[in-house]
Amino acid sequence: MDDRKIILTGRSLILLIGVVWSAFPIFMVVSSSFKPALDIFAVPPKLIFTPTFENYIALFHDWPEFVGSLGNSLIITVGATLITAVTSLLAGYSYSRYRSRLLTLSAFFMIFVRMLPPIVVTIPLFPVVNALHLNDTYIILILLYAAFFVSLATWIVKTFIDQIPRELEEAAEVEGASIWQMLYKVIVPLSIHGMIAACVFVVIFSWNEYAFAMIFTSNTARTGPLILSEISGAVEGVQWGVLFAATSIQLLPILIFVLFVQKFIVSGLTAGAVKG
Amino acid sequence: MFEDRKWLPVFLISPANVLLLLFIAVPSIYIIWLSLHKLTFGMSSTFVGLDNYIQIFSDPIFWRAALNTFIVVNIVVYAELALALILALALNTNFWGKGLVFSILIAPYAVSEVSAVVMWRYLFEPDIGMFNMVLQSFADIQLNWVRNPTHGLTLISILSIWIHLPFTLIILYSAISTVPGDLKNAARVEGATEWQVFLKVTMRFIAPAILVAMMFRYIFATRLFSEVWLLNEGGPARLTEVLGTYLFRAAFRYHDFGTAAATGLAMQFLALLVASFYLYKLYKRMQADG
Repeated sequence: MDDRKIILTGRSLILLIGVVWSAFPIFMVVSSSFKPALDIFAVPPKLIFTPTFENYIALFHDWPEFVGSLGNSLIITVGATLITAVTSLLAGYSYSRYRSRLLTLSAFFMIFVRMLPPIVVTIPLFPVVNALHLNDTYIILILLYAAFFVSLATWIVKTFIDQIPRELEEAAEVEGASIWQMLYKVIVPLSIHGMIAACVFVVIFSWNEYAFAMIFTSNTARTGPLILSEISGAVEGVQWGVLFAATSIQLLPILIFVLFVQKFIVSGLTAGAVKG
Repeated sequence: MFEDRKWLPVFLISPANVLLLLFIAVPSIYIIWLSLHKLTFGMSSTFVGLDNYIQIFSDPIFWRAALNTFIVVNIVVYAELALALILALALNTNFWGKGLVFSILIAPYAVSEVSAVVMWRYLFEPDIGMFNMVLQSFADIQLNWVRNPTHGLTLISILSIWIHLPFTLIILYSAISTVPGDLKNAARVEGATEWQVFLKVTMRFIAPAILVAMMFRYIFATRLFSEVWLLNEGGPARLTEVLGTYLFRAAFRYHDFGTAAATGLAMQFLALLVASFYLYKLYKRMQADG
């Protein structure tokens, strides 16, 4: 075999192993959610089986709160994303177009706080959140999720706005547009890819987050991952089939989302991590 | 443009900065005060000086948690960098189905920590999990993460690598795909072997990206909490605790906010230590730009 063939074989083998490593755990859980209880731990694993919806039926029967928790996750995800989009657009525009000592300091501050571990803030926030009766509400999780992603989002948006020529804004100003009209009519359409890239991360994070949700919700605002953890930690032994059904339902929308926005994830991480 | 409005730039950055101040900066600083006090629910706080620090530093479980964090973080970061580098190199060519392969490789990015724990528990459930059955039949061992702390940390490392590999892969792959082909070809014309091209051209070109990926992963990995808490709550006998679970247990199980705050300060110190060089460089560059 010549060098080329060796490299080609090596490449294919590496990618094959990588694909199996990434996909296998997901595939096993999703396919097993359609297996009857007896087949779930069958040895060797059953690849051909008669699919059943009994796990899904049992899930909706035993855990009626699961559907509501996904609704909560959706509301919180949309809320956090909207706040992140608006705040990072305004800040990203300002950091891109203006220069001052204060702006430099605040831009540095934004990146600096991004390094701090999130779990630490739960200690002082917990009593405050309780005193303000924000415990178990959407708003506390929305604000926390937005706070932990606004820095990355701002940086991504700034990088994209940097590439927009200023002449367009000057033209808008000459025509008498207000700053808001200009942002909405000029900057948003031209930096929309950056804004999407910025929002993708907060969407994924908010849909999946566990620690804050566990600490700051107790009943009505519980999110999908929290109910998942309750199903997996059920005292009377884990009902694996039900757990897999719930895991699949929680996973599939966000998985499809990630596959659709993958190019934004790549451009966002490149802008946010390497340049910032 | 719009320059007559002097306060406009400050006004525009204020919502983002207020969010960061209220939810991250002020709480992060406030824990310094908390760490010097003894306080629990419904009790007024009393100043205790460095007692909380003395308490955690003389607690063998704290040191065990610190050691576990150190071990897991180092395994996870370097394994991810190595795997991501190999995969990124293999990906860096055009072939049929490349988009699909890349999509599958980054799929774990969509998986929550809760679901990842479910998936890996399924594969490694003692006596019945598929991978444990395979290990049992071929090597007569099992990954007994329920009873054996070393095995527990191994499973935590595996599933952390699994969730976070896409992040590292994306950063390294974007860097590798920008290495100019001309540069590599020029080296080949000069008679360099593929290995030399990799070392002398590709690696030099992507070294900054590797450093940035490494720093971010060090910082994010040190935050490790959910995976451990969901897998076994730091058990058995608190032997797989990490700093994140130690803090959480102190605050929300024992309601001892003083020692939790002291642990939190230690975690912040570690994160800023790792980030200090990067932050310093960034600050210099921003001042030059500004």
